[in-house]
Amino acid sequence: MSYKVAVIGDADTATGFALAGVSYTYVHVDKDRTLAKLTEFMASEEIGLVLITHPIAEELGAEFRRMMRMKKLLPVVLRISDKTGYIPKVDELYELIKRTVGAEIVVRAEEG
Amino acid sequence: MAAVAAAVAPTRMEFLKLKQRVSLAQRGHDLLREKMDALVIEFFEVLRNIGKARAGALKQLSLAHQAISVCSAVMGTIETRQASREAKRELEVEISTRYVMGIVVPTLEVERVERDALARGYSLHTTSSLLDEASKEFEKALGLLVKLAELEESARAIARELERTKRRVNALEYILIPRLKAALKFIEMRLDEMERENFSRLKRIKAMLEAMA
Repeated sequence: MSYKVAVIGDADTATGFALAGVSYTYVHVDKDRTLAKLTEFMASEEIGLVLITHPIAEELGAEFRRMMRMKKLLPVVLRISDKTGYIPKVDELYELIKRTVGAEIVVRAEEG
Repeated sequence: MAAVAAAVAPTRMEFLKLKQRVSLAQRGHDLLREKMDALVIEFFEVLRNIGKARAGALKQLSLAHQAISVCSAVMGTIETRQASREAKRELEVEISTRYVMGIVVPTLEVERVERDALARGYSLHTTSSLLDEASKEFEKALGLLVKLAELEESARAIARELERTKRRVNALEYILIPRLKAALKFIEMRLDEMERENFSRLKRIKAMLEAMA
C-alpha cells in the first residue's frame, strides 16, 4: 500500500520537506493547534509516516507520549532534529533498552 | 502458601495432576526463555543498525538545513516558501508489514525520492539553483529518514514483545511454578502423614486383637 508523508515542524523544516515532495506540512504555532493537527494526521488513513521535530515533540510532552503509546501500527512517527540540530539528552530508545533488557545497556555503548 | 494448601485436595490423583502441570509449566518456561533470548539478539541487531542509520540521517538533515538557510538568504525567505508551495508534493511511501518471530513489523520503502529539477514543479526561471540544491538535500534526507523510521518502529515493536515475554517468563518462574511446587509438597507431606497414621492405627488394632485373644 502507498501512503503519504506528513511533517510537523518549524517553518524552515516544513519548507524544506515540502520541496522534497512531502504531501502534508504543518508549521507549529502553539501546543493546542499542533496537537489537534497531529491527532488529525494520526487518524488519517492515507498518511503512513509522520515526521515531527524534537523540540515540538517535547513541547507537546505527556500528550504526545500518550498518543505514541495508544497509536495503531500506522502511521509510523519519527522524531527528527530541526535546524538547531537539537536532540534530547535522554534518548527514548535508550530508555526502552533500559526498561526491556535491564543492565545490558552497556553492550550497546561498546558496539555502537 | 496456606491459600495454596487449602485449595488442593490431598489425594494421589491431585498429586499426579499437579506433577503434570509443573512439567508443562516448566516446558513453557523454557520455551519462552528461548524466545526471549532470540528476541534480544534480534533487538540488538536492529539497534546496531539504528545507530548507523541515525548518524547518517542526522548528518544529511543538517546538510539540508544548511542548504535551505543559504537558499533563503540568497533568494529571500518569502520566495523560498513560495517555491515550496508550488512544488509537487505527492511523495508516496510503500508500507507493508513483515513478521519477525511472530511480531508485526512495518517495512517502509520509497521508490524515488530524488527528482530532477523539472519534476519538482516550481518555476525554474524565477528561482535560484540554490533552491534545487536545497531540495535535493532534503530529498536525500527524507530517503534516509524513511529507512530510519522503519528501523525505529521495528525496535519499538520488538521491545514491546520482549517486555511482554519477560513478564510471562517471570510470572512462570517466580509465581506459578513455585506455587505448584508448594502444592505438590503439601500433598506429599499430607499423604505421608496419612500413611503414618494408618500404620499406627493398624498397630493399635493388632494389639487390641491380641489382647482379646
